[in-house]
Amino acid sequence: MSLLEVEDLKITYSTSEVDVHAVNGVSFEIDDGSNYGLVGESGCGKSTVAHSVLGLLDDNGNVEAGSIKFDGRELLDCSEQEWQEIRWEEIAYIPQSAMDSLDPVMSVGAQIRQAMHKHRDVTKAEANERVEEVFDIVGLDPSRTEEYPHQFSGGMRQRVTIAMALVLDPDLIIADEPTTGLDVIVQDKIVHKLLEIQEEIDSSMLLITHDMGVIAETCDDVSVLYGGKVMEQGSTDDVLKNPTNPYTMGLKNSFPDIEEFDSQAVSIPGSLPDLTREPTSCVFSNRCPFATEECEREHPALREVENQQSACYHVDRVEELREEAVDPETWGLDPVDQGGREAGDVILETEGLTKWFEQGQSIVDQLMGREKDYVKAVNGVDLTVRENEIVGVAGESGCGKSTLGEVIAALQTHTDGEIRFRGTPVEELLSGDSKEFRSKVQFIFQDPFDSLNPRQKVRAAVSEPLKIQGVEGDEITERVRQTLADVGLSPVDKYIDSFPHQLSGGERQRVAIARALVLDPELLICDEPASMLDVSLKASILNILREMATERDMGIVYISHDLASLSQITDRLAVMYLGQVIEVGKTREIVTGPRHPYTASLLAASPNVDPAVDRTRVLLPGEPPNPVNLPEGCNFAPRCPKATEECRESEPERAAWVDEGHEAACYFPVDDVQAELLDRYEGATDAAGTTGEELPQEQGSSAP
Amino acid sequence: MTFRRFLIKRIVIAFLLTLVSVSIIFVTLRALPGTPFSSLVASGGLSGEQVAELEAQYGLNEPIYVQYVKYIQSLLTLNFGYSIAESRPVSAIIYPRLLNTLVLLVPALITTAIVSSIAGLYAGWNRGSAFEQGSIVVTTFFRSTPVFVTGIFLLVIFAYQLGIFPAFGMRSPLDNPQGAIETYFAVDFAKHYFLPFVATVLYYSGDFLLLARNSVIERKGSAFLTLHRAKGLTEREQLARAGRNSMLPLVTYFALRMGMLFQGVITLEVVFAWPGIGRTLVQAINQQDYPTVQAAVFIMALAVIVMNLLADVMYAKIDPTVEEGDL
Repeated sequence: MSLLEVEDLKITYSTSEVDVHAVNGVSFEIDDGSNYGLVGESGCGKSTVAHSVLGLLDDNGNVEAGSIKFDGRELLDCSEQEWQEIRWEEIAYIPQSAMDSLDPVMSVGAQIRQAMHKHRDVTKAEANERVEEVFDIVGLDPSRTEEYPHQFSGGMRQRVTIAMALVLDPDLIIADEPTTGLDVIVQDKIVHKLLEIQEEIDSSMLLITHDMGVIAETCDDVSVLYGGKVMEQGSTDDVLKNPTNPYTMGLKNSFPDIEEFDSQAVSIPGSLPDLTREPTSCVFSNRCPFATEECEREHPALREVENQQSACYHVDRVEELREEAVDPETWGLDPVDQGGREAGDVILETEGLTKWFEQGQSIVDQLMGREKDYVKAVNGVDLTVRENEIVGVAGESGCGKSTLGEVIAALQTHTDGEIRFRGTPVEELLSGDSKEFRSKVQFIFQDPFDSLNPRQKVRAAVSEPLKIQGVEGDEITERVRQTLADVGLSPVDKYIDSFPHQLSGGERQRVAIARALVLDPELLICDEPASMLDVSLKASILNILREMATERDMGIVYISHDLASLSQITDRLAVMYLGQVIEVGKTREIVTGPRHPYTASLLAASPNVDPAVDRTRVLLPGEPPNPVNLPEGCNFAPRCPKATEECRESEPERAAWVDEGHEAACYFPVDDVQAELLDRYEGATDAAGTTGEELPQEQGSSAP
Repeated sequence: MTFRRFLIKRIVIAFLLTLVSVSIIFVTLRALPGTPFSSLVASGGLSGEQVAELEAQYGLNEPIYVQYVKYIQSLLTLNFGYSIAESRPVSAIIYPRLLNTLVLLVPALITTAIVSSIAGLYAGWNRGSAFEQGSIVVTTFFRSTPVFVTGIFLLVIFAYQLGIFPAFGMRSPLDNPQGAIETYFAVDFAKHYFLPFVATVLYYSGDFLLLARNSVIERKGSAFLTLHRAKGLTEREQLARAGRNSMLPLVTYFALRMGMLFQGVITLEVVFAWPGIGRTLVQAINQQDYPTVQAAVFIMALAVIVMNLLADVMYAKIDPTVEEGDL
């Protein structure tokens, strides 16, 4: 008998108008001590399934049919009181967003103790002891149990929630996107910790995520969900390596390998099926390039193919489909001429650019004339962007990359240094009529849900910049329509009079791109334009940007933490750490041969979609230091296994190591990533236990 | 920043604020046309010389800055001087009235803060329930009705129609109690107390109820409550956590209201003929009784400032994230 058996689960959410069929018959089983993954995009029902196992569905969620058996016991028949006994004692939960899933006005220790007191008859001292124990297990300093959540960084808060999940030795842990929103290095450490602990306490885990890389590295078995249906089910190795379902193939395409340069990103066109009624055809049929009439009849049942099960009518043609699925043309994308882009004249150049944010100071300190503290968000950055070139800015949250973007777009003033646009200092361009400069530099923001005015129709949003520039009425309409068509919002008539809330996330971001492009800018700055979008849509945004760069001779600054999309789209890459560019060069060179230890760690920490690859985890110790009190010497030295006295004393120039435009700010550039970094990290963590965590930790809790 | 430094800083700021506010009072009163004695001149009761003599007696002929310095000096020693209109110490006029006001309003405010906050928490938690909707309608009704209208209706129903409670004053005309205990702990007082107390409670209930309801709604569905629920906490325990997280706006509002109580509620005092500070102030302004007005306004300003200080301190105690940010 399996530990958890979910059978033909159907869940609907009732809203005032219609019922949304979120889960439409999902079945899977989790064995003792194994890891099970549910993977899919947002809206596929994976979180709903997880919540139903814990009885945490919202009030409007109803389980229509099916059964959830835990240890042979039917959970759906439990009363609320029985639920309360099962929760945490038997099934623990690691929530999605560690940033706000801890009670802000309760010390973390008290929150964990609360779970113990609820289920066990323990004294406070016993509870305390146990809390310190689990803190130690997850690699947190046991003396910090009485601190409050805001005193921990995002990664550490996630560790607190993991510690909380462990405290009662549950049989099953449900982890709902435990690493989403964390930086790649932190994610790697968290995944490592989860697996390590699990091995120790021998519990099962149900992992919910959209990230195939994380699944590939953690789970034994997996179900791919789409539209509330299981599309493919089987062992992770089989499903990810040899997908048999068109949806899995498409999803896998959306996770390119970092080293796949210039390959065109392949997205799945179309949008999620309408779930307001029970699916009458294959849920994927409206986006599936292989759909036939047969697929319209009803959703196919799971059938055995190779070593797994797939819900598809075309299982007999698997080999053929798999071959075709990697071709962008199959998904209705025009092949774009890759590479061969010649960078033109310099558009933007910064020299020693700094942006310091003043910190609040007490009156007494002001009277005493003490020097103010500054957050050195951008600290001496030299960056050049040319025509027809996409420059990537990579880095973890809090490294100053977003600030850099806003400063070079002159959305924020800079503290020191110079920004030259086409050779003219920005101050000069802004001093008189700034309209011209503003029309040449455009910005695309991260969040398409916030960056569009909800009361403005698409037409108004896209034509506004033209109106500001004083373009005539007829021309406005023409240019708006043309730009909307260019970004793939066609037929234009369908979109032009819609409000943002009527559009999907991907469509909104296209509107935002159209709004930026309508002025024919020379420089476009994109701050994580795809990070809020679903993986299958991300690729299409990347493709539009690439196309536009080639067609319009623009320079693009692409800011992101996602190295895979950076390597796919950018020509040159600048890696930032604590306000400084520590490595810059051709994207291909950096990705294949990183020189700075930090870049190398960052690259090595990206999870691999191929479950067969055995990757050494990047256990980079500590967290970035506080940007107010930066260390003497190299900023990375406190965490770097190669650091010497020299690194701690004097700061390396950006061009400390140079090879034809590839520069790294490091005295001892890396040659062999495995031997010089990863093995040493592992050694350091094993030997030092938790001491690595005692490095400065304020950073991260207040990332912009 | 340590809590002590935080406290010292807040106290210094509070002191400076008080100084600013008393200076404003001083200037404003002097800027009013006429003097306390001008009406006497107009009615022919006093000659010009007599007025000048009186002004000299009260120090009003001295240069304005000397008056100001003396005024500040006296305030620092809590010496409010003599009332011009009533010829007795200002403190003897103000303190009993202030006490009457506070005896009425403080218990009423505390009662309504506790009862309607809890009702609000409950209403927010059970969003869409009949209780939520009913409570909002009722409390908003009383909040938007002027308190004297509610008061008059209470009087009409309970005093004149049903005759259960007396209609006005703090005690029966024939009573002559000595000392605070006899004054305030008497059945007769309780009877007079009831109607204005109810009117006040009803008047303030809407604010607390809506504040509590809204902040619980904001918390509800937040990730940390889901985690609490996943830990196996009962519904009531979850509500308690939501309530604990909703304390900030409630505490702020409570402290602000508490500070404002020192001004009394003039309309309420008039309707129920309650001898409170509000009526005294209006009277003193009409008579241009500088010392009384200055003292009364000083106490009111001080109360608001002190209560604000208290709110800040409680903030720091309630919300662990506050101490870090500089206030």
